[in-house]
Amino acid sequence: MKISSSQMFRDISKWCFGALALLLFTGPFKAQAQGDALFKAKCATCHQVFKDGTGPKLYEVRQKWTDGGAAEGSIFQWVNNWKNAVAIDPYAKTVSNWSETAMSAFPELSKEQITSIFDWVDSQEQATTKNGGDPLSVSAVEQESSLSWAWIIMGVIFVVIILAVGGVRRQLKAASSEMEGKAIDDDMTYTDELKQWAWANRKVVVVGIISIVLGLVVALFLSLYSVGLVENYQPSQPISFPHSVHAGTNAIDCKYCHNSVTKSKSAGLPTVNVCMNCHKQISGETPEQQEQIQKIYDAAGYDPSGAGRYTGDTKEIIWNRVHVLPDHVYFNHSQHVEVGGVDCKQCHGDMEKMMETAKVQTIEDLNKVEGNIQLSKTTLTMGWCIECHKEKEISNGTLDTKKDGYYDEIHKRLMDGDKELYGKYLEDGKVTVMELGGWECAKCHY
Amino acid sequence: MKIKFRVILSISIIAVTTLMFVSCASDPDSSGLEYMPDMYRSPAIEPYVDYGEVRGRENKDLKLKRSAMIPPSGTIPYYGTDSATVALMMPYARKANVAMKSTHGMYDAVLTKENEYDFALADKNPLKLTSDNMGDLFDTGKKLFTANCAHCHGAKGNGNGPMVVSGAYVGVPDYANLTNLSDGQIFYSIYYGKGMMGAHNSLLDKREIWTLVHYIRKFQDTDYGTSQSAKALEAN
Repeated sequence: MKISSSQMFRDISKWCFGALALLLFTGPFKAQAQGDALFKAKCATCHQVFKDGTGPKLYEVRQKWTDGGAAEGSIFQWVNNWKNAVAIDPYAKTVSNWSETAMSAFPELSKEQITSIFDWVDSQEQATTKNGGDPLSVSAVEQESSLSWAWIIMGVIFVVIILAVGGVRRQLKAASSEMEGKAIDDDMTYTDELKQWAWANRKVVVVGIISIVLGLVVALFLSLYSVGLVENYQPSQPISFPHSVHAGTNAIDCKYCHNSVTKSKSAGLPTVNVCMNCHKQISGETPEQQEQIQKIYDAAGYDPSGAGRYTGDTKEIIWNRVHVLPDHVYFNHSQHVEVGGVDCKQCHGDMEKMMETAKVQTIEDLNKVEGNIQLSKTTLTMGWCIECHKEKEISNGTLDTKKDGYYDEIHKRLMDGDKELYGKYLEDGKVTVMELGGWECAKCHY
Repeated sequence: MKIKFRVILSISIIAVTTLMFVSCASDPDSSGLEYMPDMYRSPAIEPYVDYGEVRGRENKDLKLKRSAMIPPSGTIPYYGTDSATVALMMPYARKANVAMKSTHGMYDAVLTKENEYDFALADKNPLKLTSDNMGDLFDTGKKLFTANCAHCHGAKGNGNGPMVVSGAYVGVPDYANLTNLSDGQIFYSIYYGKGMMGAHNSLLDKREIWTLVHYIRKFQDTDYGTSQSAKALEAN
């Protein structure tokens, strides 16, 4: 390829220009640092560099204004006080219609400072990947369900093979008896053959039948014992909510979403406005996440495009309740969390590590959680409850005199009243829930 | 011997088909067999239970229609007979701006065209800080802050909470830059939300928000509440 001299000159000039630009860019480091600090202090609450939020994205916003036909310098007036800019510049008026939220005024920013902010913003590079949350993985669940399908298909194939082999064998038998010159006994059905064989081996058959019946009885009782046990129960939910991302990676307190846990009987499921407190901004990175988060937007009646606006077209998210106690049991979350100071983990396990929606944890999993009281009975049974009431320590025998709650009063009366009984309680070095009346029937059944 | 083989075959066929049927019957949304189902699903109203079907009676209007709900606008829980508490817990007098219907999803709230955020400038914190209640107020404030605010605003209130650190959320202000806000405006912002932040009035009651206002002031001024602080004088 032949390069003409003029083109070469153009190339060289481009290079020189590039080098100059590089110099210009690396030169005013101070201004850049100032822009960074100012952006974070003044703008970042509402504006992002590459994404619309409460305010529009700021990347190359000066270019946008120039292209839109804004008056020279009106953007600086806008930042100082947007109302002044609207008064003199028709383009600024259109900008003010972008969102119903009015921008705050920043009269304290000088023209140089505003320029440094825009310079810093334009120098940012769009990140291709953010280290936001772990990607949603639903493959494990899919694998499991496809596995059970594989079993069923294998079973069908197995049955077909057995039937085929049986048919071949029967024909072979007929053929061999024909060769030996015996009469073919066509009327001999399976049942007749079975009877014949059973009579010939009657001892084995009797023992076999007895053991099968015994086995069935044992199996029946075992299955009766499992009636009403709900360990591992994990109903389907309308949104595949990853607890590990919310409570783990982003360290949101359980009590933020389940916010009635300290005040009420029920821990509370978050209403959609609570989801929107964060998801107004977080719309997801992978298509799977976006699909799930779109369900929140649908429920809240929120249109995330542009400035984002609530349309009022709401929908219900129907959650499936996981932990259901019979009607004759009274359980109160605030009593346990607020008064008893029990950690959520004691009964609900390490949700910070669970990439799934809620389930009834098994007792084995709960015992693995650090700091949990070790229990042996199946989760969500009465045995489990009262075992914990027997183990849970209220005090080592001393009493906090500052507290004057109901249970402190009971503790005090026990301490001052029956010294002998209190001494007996203290033999294991602790006063438990049970010893303060936690095993009384009417505490939970009334 | 040959017949025996056939019998074993037949038995195994039966076993395999039964197993297949049993495995097909399990429904992930069913919690399994119960001894007395009417004791589990009572007509008494429990939260998050679908009442589309109660004891065999179907109610199509209710079926899969309702789940988590916020209290109706303007309702307050019963706070007892202590008149000071009742006065504190009366519904918040300041209203949200009409624009918040589309920016913050205030569908049910009573809205106003006035910018009541500016009026809130003059509102005083009704929970007076005294040397007696200071410790308790700040303790409660810390608990509430950890549960409701810290994941974005950071345990130190510098806008660097775990959600910001993980990169999931951006644009959380440092309380140190918000010293120009009055107590009333902080309350208004928590109650109705501001900018990206949503309304927290369904999560926190008025006493809790005012407690948080005290706690947030503590981030901005370590002397807050002590006699040296000008803010404490202003608050009292």
